[in-house]
Amino acid sequence: MEKLHEFARRAVSRRNFLAGLGYTAGTAAAVTLAAGCGSSGTMTTTPTPPTTPTITDADVLNFALNLEYLEAEFYLRAVTGSGLSDADAGTGAGAVTGGAQVPFKTTALQQYAMEIANDELAHVRFLRKALGTAAVSRPAIDLTNSFNAAATAAGIGSMFNPFADESSFVVGAFTFEDVGVTAYHGGAGLLTDKGNLAAAAGIMATEAYHAAEIRTLLTQLGGNYLTYANQISGLRAAAGGGAEVTVAGNTIVAADSNSIAFDRTTDQVLHIVYLNATPGVVKSGGFFPQGMNGTISASAS
Amino acid sequence: METISKDLLTGERKGMGRRAAMLLGGAALAGMTMSRRASAQAAVTDTDILNFALNLEFLEAQFYTLATTGQTIDQAGLSIAGGGGAGGGTVTVKANPMVTFSTPLLQQFAMETAQDEQNHVAFLQKALGASAVAMPNIDLMNSFNALASAAGLGASFDPFASETNFLLGAFIFEDVGVTAYLGAAGLISTAAYLDKAAGILAVEAYHAGSIRLRIFQAGSAAESAATSIATARASLDGTSNDDIGVGLSNGAATIVDADSNAIAFSRTTAQVLKVVYGGGSTGGAFFPNGLNGTIK
Repeated sequence: MEKLHEFARRAVSRRNFLAGLGYTAGTAAAVTLAAGCGSSGTMTTTPTPPTTPTITDADVLNFALNLEYLEAEFYLRAVTGSGLSDADAGTGAGAVTGGAQVPFKTTALQQYAMEIANDELAHVRFLRKALGTAAVSRPAIDLTNSFNAAATAAGIGSMFNPFADESSFVVGAFTFEDVGVTAYHGGAGLLTDKGNLAAAAGIMATEAYHAAEIRTLLTQLGGNYLTYANQISGLRAAAGGGAEVTVAGNTIVAADSNSIAFDRTTDQVLHIVYLNATPGVVKSGGFFPQGMNGTISASAS
Repeated sequence: METISKDLLTGERKGMGRRAAMLLGGAALAGMTMSRRASAQAAVTDTDILNFALNLEFLEAQFYTLATTGQTIDQAGLSIAGGGGAGGGTVTVKANPMVTFSTPLLQQFAMETAQDEQNHVAFLQKALGASAVAMPNIDLMNSFNALASAAGLGASFDPFASETNFLLGAFIFEDVGVTAYLGAAGLISTAAYLDKAAGILAVEAYHAGSIRLRIFQAGSAAESAATSIATARASLDGTSNDDIGVGLSNGAATIVDADSNAIAFSRTTAQVLKVVYGGGSTGGAFFPNGLNGTIK
């Protein structure tokens, strides 16, 4: 108990710490913060003007909104054949490549997909409303080349169409869901307003319900689809700082050895959705061919 | 940018600390007068919150461990004593509670969940150190009977009798765990604890999602029972509207227990207590003598 209290008292809050790691231009700044965290806590180095851009709640919620646009487009197209309306996508929204109605054969799977599509649409609308005029519009989204590239990188093959059939759809859904949980978990620490935090935690919980649902379905599908999902998981781990456990009947939950769900920095999430595991600055790629919209759109490391 | 606070935090006022606002909101929602703790201006500490969570984790860990092994967590080697040496309470459960599983995937998941809940107990005990409360008395027999009656499911209910009953028994806890962590997260002041609580919250939501999916797959009788339980939970906490069952809504499944914004429901500590006490004020149902700690 005392240990953690001291950690907090040392004036380097998790928020600042993460912000330092994620958004300062130089490694030096991050190292300085880390040193402050580990030692007595007085940062007595030469007082240089802080270069860390202030990350606002709007920045974090817009980051989340980009991810919700991606999920909503994926699920809406899978269920209905068409994506977000112009009103939900915002002014000057980017184009969406790919996506088609999945020829569902199992009624229950279609019902699960419809619920998740509704949920992701509700998240888009909720975040857009909360952000008001600060809301970013939908960036360009690619649901074709992205999955092919992911399949190639994951060793599945040169092409993967998650809209081809209902089992492929479950694998496609898996690509996003656990990532959403880790992104909201990491993002929660960056939020300053308690109301925003409560909303983000509530959305994270919904994403975790989805993730468990998809992972459970994958274990029931078994065979190649479970293998593909775990290859995707490996890809996410490579790009996004680990934070994965193999999907299996006895590992429905993606969590660490304390049974606490993983979290990811915005940098790690960007590397995953841009499908680029190479460390360094990455500004676009993968599911967002022109990058995300908003201030958190390029990885710093 | 408008903050989201107004929609979500009933009773929050400008310039007022969130903790105080939450306490007021919780009291108002539960139709209660200010507690003696609040009137004495005793702030809810992170220790209080984590101990509140520890009580719930004891309950979950005992349920899943008994269901999967027939043993209590203390028989399995975990400590149920308080950090200061206080002895742990008793568990009331039927003889031979180990569930006879016929579905390997469900058994594996049940064992995973048992391990997760044990890990949560151990993690919280370690974080709390000498401040950790002992396990309170837990009832896994009369509690289910009482809740079954409240939910209109009959006079008795044995969650260890079959796979479907096990799912329904698990269902009773899991969404409540999610709402409890969501409500409590706002009371935590230390960033590091908040992060851990959020991580445990997500794990509870994973559990809940998988259990609700399996109830959906178990068919209409199981769905109907789960929906009755959800209705009972909402009734017990005094809101009537913060829980949804498992089934269909306009052609879509209802695997996720969330509001119209697809944001998972949240409960105040007072509301959680009402649910786990089966409507009692100082104890009852799963905790016949109440929780240990300051929030009880």
